[in-house]
Amino acid sequence: MFLKKYISEIWRAVKSLLKGMKLTGYYFTHHKEIITQNYPEVKQPLPERFRGEVVLIHDENNEHACTGCTACELACPNGTIKIITKFDVSAEGKKKKALDTFVYHLELCTMCNLCIEACPTSAIKMAQNFEHSVFNRNDLTKKLNKPGSKIREGVE
Amino acid sequence: MKAVDIIFYCIAIFVLTTGVLAVTTRKIFRSAIWLLFCLMGVAALYFWMNANFIAAIQIAVYVGGIVVLIIFSIFLTQQSGNQMPKPNFLRIIVASITSLIGLGLMLQLFAKQTFKTTNKNFDIDIATLGKQLLSTDANGYALPFEVISILLLAAMVGCIVIAMKPKTQL
Amino acid sequence: MLSLETITNNVHDWLNSHVSNTWATIIEMVIVGLLVIGLFAILGLILVLMERKVSAFMQIRVGPNRVGFKGSLQTLADTLKLVLKEGLTPKGADKFLFNLAPYIVMCAAMLILAPIAFANNFQIWDINIGVLYISSISSISVIGILMAGWASNNKYSLLGAMRSGAQIVSYELSAGFSVLCIVILTGSLKISDIINAQQNGWFIFKGHIPAIISFIIFIIAVTAETNRAPFDLAEAESELTAGFHTEYSGMKFALFFLAEYVNIFVVCAIGAILFFGGWMPLHIGNWHGFNHIMDYIPSSLWFMLKVFGLIFLIMWFRWTFPRLRVDQLLNLEWKYLLPLSLVNLLLMTIVAIMGWYF
Repeated sequence: MFLKKYISEIWRAVKSLLKGMKLTGYYFTHHKEIITQNYPEVKQPLPERFRGEVVLIHDENNEHACTGCTACELACPNGTIKIITKFDVSAEGKKKKALDTFVYHLELCTMCNLCIEACPTSAIKMAQNFEHSVFNRNDLTKKLNKPGSKIREGVE
Repeated sequence: MKAVDIIFYCIAIFVLTTGVLAVTTRKIFRSAIWLLFCLMGVAALYFWMNANFIAAIQIAVYVGGIVVLIIFSIFLTQQSGNQMPKPNFLRIIVASITSLIGLGLMLQLFAKQTFKTTNKNFDIDIATLGKQLLSTDANGYALPFEVISILLLAAMVGCIVIAMKPKTQL
Repeated sequence: MLSLETITNNVHDWLNSHVSNTWATIIEMVIVGLLVIGLFAILGLILVLMERKVSAFMQIRVGPNRVGFKGSLQTLADTLKLVLKEGLTPKGADKFLFNLAPYIVMCAAMLILAPIAFANNFQIWDINIGVLYISSISSISVIGILMAGWASNNKYSLLGAMRSGAQIVSYELSAGFSVLCIVILTGSLKISDIINAQQNGWFIFKGHIPAIISFIIFIIAVTAETNRAPFDLAEAESELTAGFHTEYSGMKFALFFLAEYVNIFVVCAIGAILFFGGWMPLHIGNWHGFNHIMDYIPSSLWFMLKVFGLIFLIMWFRWTFPRLRVDQLLNLEWKYLLPLSLVNLLLMTIVAIMGWYF
């Protein structure tokens, strides 16, 4: 019958609308359900394998393990890394290739991890820092070796 | 001059200006908007006269109904944003002569007619209005009311018939 | 006891004793105008903040929480931003109508405030056709929307304006019918009469079944009339970017935004007056003790509580239901709401004639 169908349609519509309103009403009154976090104050722990930027590992003596072999520069698919080398003169008067500047273009990096895998001495690693925003684009070109740092003894 | 007179002349100037603009502008949408302002000015005159009911009906029927319909039909016709072509000279002449004749007739009527001023309060309550609308007395409006409602019913049935799809198409 | 009524009476007496009657009237008009503008500004700030907080909690978020205490000054900051922005007029737009449209919408919203009673004897204009006046003036705002849509010279704006026009014109019918139900119970269109008739109980209780049905129809129809979700096809940000106000920026956009929220306030105020007794405290029949206790709460507070309750209901709708399609929208009105409200009007008439109400 037409009228019966008409009224039951209205009844079903009202019921489904009330069901939806019940759920949102529940969320409105239960603030503990809130899943967002106040970002700068509360930072969620990042996953272990999260890759944020490339850093050169320095120990407490301001020494790193980079030999300046440019393996990472060759491995990089989009020219993010530029290694500038120099020649150190050792005590015996022997010339030795060493790292002068580790130039890292963060704006080009895709965090693909190929440079870390290519490094023979495990001198670089991926850090978890992700807050990279700066006011000047040039600030994204970074020098990774700290001033005055030198290669650790015994790393070939 | 009292404040009441000043308000009357302000409203009258508004109505006349918008009325003239409505027929002289060459953009059809603007013409509709000027017409709208003209009708609202008339409603303001009714409010000024304390005839609240007729003013509200004026706004509800003309502004809410008729001007919206006009604007809809303007939207649905093509190139409503373009300027209309200038009317030819003969038409302007004919139109101005007709309107001048109309004006002359009106002025003559006004001159003959003597307007009585009344001190009766115009603030009629709704119950009296309703009874007047439905009364069958000498001054009642029952017959026109019913005739108009039958006319509207016929128009509505006609609309439904036109809009209805034939069964075979379904 | 200090109430809004005594304040207005004192101001009126003081003005009349110091200046001539004409000037007193003019000064009172200016004061009323300033109060209305001030009310608009405050309402805009409060309602936008309320909407953002309500939506946030319903969507399991926190919402604005930086500016001021728990984000309480967020809307003030937003307004400052809007004031500083440039008001652009697109190329090819009809400049005059484009700039006029926001003011038309605002003026319509302001005019509807006139017959609304905010507290006991605190009303701008107790016009004898109050309810009819409201429903006729509210049809002006659709003209502003159509004007904005056409003058922007933008296809999205035009589509949004046309949708909104069709929507408002059709939903005005069922809103009008549900208002008529209450008018049948009171036998008067005057707002103060309608409120005074609810002395011994609000109409939603006094008129029981037909009043509840007409309240439901009313709240659906006014949600559609104010262009709010689930009936926000005129704006429909996922289809039409922003509908009729796509091209507006800066303060002109803010005026549209403000008018939307003021319209919500106005329709909720009308709903509160018609169904929940306006400023009338909760009275139950002849329980004089109970009624007397309720009278201690100021009438303006009662009014605001009811209005904000209804506003919350409309916001609840917005953040729960998905948007309707155009054909569904018109189906709902012409196939369900209109027949139902006609039948309900008949039912209410029978109830009123037989005296089956309390």
